[in-house]
Amino acid sequence: MGDYYSGDEERYYYDDDDDQDASDGLPDLETEVSLPSTKSPSSEVITKESLLIAQRGDLRRIMDVLSLKEHHARTLLIHYRWDVDKVIAVFVEKGKDKLYAAAGLTVLEHDNLSSELSSTVMCLICMEEVSASDVTTMDCGHHFCNPCWTEHFIVKINDGLSRRIRCMAHQCHAICDEAKIRSLVSARDPNLSEKFDRFLLESYIEDNKQVKWCPSVPHCGNAIRIKYDELCEVECTCGLQFCFSCLSEAHSPCSCLMWELWTKKCYDESETVNWMTVHTKPCPKCHKLVEKSGGCNLVCCICGQAFCWLCGGPTGREHTWTSISGHSCGQYKEDQEKKTERAKRDLLRYIHFHNSFKAHTDSFQREAELKETIQEKISILEDNQSTFKDFSWVTNGLCRLFRSRRVLSYSYPFAYYMFGDDLFKHEMTKKEKEIKQNLFEEQQQQLHANVEKLSLFIGEPFDKYPENKVEELRMKVINLSVMIDGICRKLYECIENDLLGSIQHAHHSIAPYMSMGVEKASELSICWENEA
Amino acid sequence: MVDFGRVQKELQECSRDMAASGIKVSPKSDNLARLVGTIPGPIGTPYEGGTFQIDISLPDGYPFEPPKMQFATKVWHPNISSQSGAICLDILKDQWSPALTLKTALLSVQALLSAPEPDDPQDAVVAQQYIREYQTFLGTARYWTESFAKASSLGVEEKVQKLVEMGFGEPHVRSALEAVGGDENLALEKLISS
Repeated sequence: MGDYYSGDEERYYYDDDDDQDASDGLPDLETEVSLPSTKSPSSEVITKESLLIAQRGDLRRIMDVLSLKEHHARTLLIHYRWDVDKVIAVFVEKGKDKLYAAAGLTVLEHDNLSSELSSTVMCLICMEEVSASDVTTMDCGHHFCNPCWTEHFIVKINDGLSRRIRCMAHQCHAICDEAKIRSLVSARDPNLSEKFDRFLLESYIEDNKQVKWCPSVPHCGNAIRIKYDELCEVECTCGLQFCFSCLSEAHSPCSCLMWELWTKKCYDESETVNWMTVHTKPCPKCHKLVEKSGGCNLVCCICGQAFCWLCGGPTGREHTWTSISGHSCGQYKEDQEKKTERAKRDLLRYIHFHNSFKAHTDSFQREAELKETIQEKISILEDNQSTFKDFSWVTNGLCRLFRSRRVLSYSYPFAYYMFGDDLFKHEMTKKEKEIKQNLFEEQQQQLHANVEKLSLFIGEPFDKYPENKVEELRMKVINLSVMIDGICRKLYECIENDLLGSIQHAHHSIAPYMSMGVEKASELSICWENEA
Repeated sequence: MVDFGRVQKELQECSRDMAASGIKVSPKSDNLARLVGTIPGPIGTPYEGGTFQIDISLPDGYPFEPPKMQFATKVWHPNISSQSGAICLDILKDQWSPALTLKTALLSVQALLSAPEPDDPQDAVVAQQYIREYQTFLGTARYWTESFAKASSLGVEEKVQKLVEMGFGEPHVRSALEAVGGDENLALEKLISS
């Protein structure tokens, strides 16, 4: 399970999918590899209620393999970040003792110890003589009085260290038995004991790389557990789609880093600011930004103030092409021009990609509104008792439109970074870059043209069409959908193999292409078949 | 609340073997939450011959939370801030165990004086010097010991002298000075009020 299935396998399975068989769940072969018993989804929603069940599944496996009690299994799994396979691997390679020692786990019987204790014992923490009945001995063999233990536990729980409360003895790395913690703390403060239990339970989410909280705001209370690759996009039952890897919105085929850079760039519009600082100068009098479009170095602001373009200082109006009377500066002129040129080029490039990205996300928004009008059209046709009973071609076509529009939108920031200087400047020669960029842009254009075409078809007033025309439209939409799916898949192949695949000095991976869109995580206890 | 019963016992225990350990802990005032620890500079180190005072304040959760310790005497050491006297020592942070005591913690601080850890510095300037110019470091550390760790003890003698001349008994003067951490004026106040 630790091995991620590659994108290739994924594509292979979806190859003979088409839009019409939406019921096709995850391919069998994948599940056979990891879980022989039942078909299961690659992501599941863990709710407040199912958290216990989810955690218990992993605990049970460790308890069975190592014949341990539940709290011992939990200590091990918390230490190994809930990676069951890792625990078993360490057990096989290094043996039980090393496995336990690393996790601070002591599984020993101390039956003889109680007899060693006389009727009163000196507690080394409070330095008082206490009755032996008021003393608790941990698995590591250290014993202290109950009030001291309790105090210790309370401090640790309040510090947020519930998951790893160590023995009080100096340099003892043993983790305290959670049952003993629970019983001592609940006697003093039942609320805190509950808090302790919740911390232990939530460790399953906090300390587990296969499980993450849904990033919805306000928080829906759910967490998502994935089975295979962390690099995927999921939809929580609350409806939020997100990238499991970076927890921001689903952004494939952008890599997480590209998306992070892009959102940051869009947020602070740094290019505009950059361009303005290089391309304009504030008037020394009214401080408005002035752009010089040509002419000599004496610039005149609309407020009437003249100033020197080179140094920005106020001047008189008397001047020639080469000098301003009574004013001398003028060094670094060439340098300045180069900088201006560069800033302008960078900004224009950014504006180009940003406009394309924005145009497609805007289209996406508008097409989302189509959903309702299409429903209306369908109900009109249904009322007219048309011979058509099946309208899945429209709804499926619309879904295909949404998905491919998304891919198209995010392909622009991808291209911005793929062929720009920020990330891969030294990865490709100019020539290579040109070839690759052409290859990519050709596919992007093809996708763009077909997506627009589909958008047009879907928007047609088919409720007013005669039946033969509806049939014609239906075929067109179905065929185009299949074609677009193919183009998207090819585009991803191109990105994964030809573009990102050849990058040497950085690691960029993208969430694989999902023909059926971002996968909906299923409820933990509900079967996958019902979900589809 | 601080477990004062335990602090009380710790102080007794500490004064019992002061001769052997050289480590002293005394309350700053009547409140046992603020104390002063004294450790002799370890022999064979640039701190030899110096006496270092450490301000100790006990958090409410003591001994389940670590005591806060800070050098009151200026000291030149990679793991101790030359400005504030803050100490970088694991047992005073996450490695604290309730089974440790003020005395054992001070012993650890003393051990830190003998064995600096420049890779985990509190004072980057000192740490750099320790790594790059060890001889200069030794010189500075020795000079600081001379000027601050010994002068203060000399200073105490002068203060004692002064207060005795005012007509107070020497043992009283000493305990008063000790209780207020060496501040002459506070000691005078204490002597007058008692």
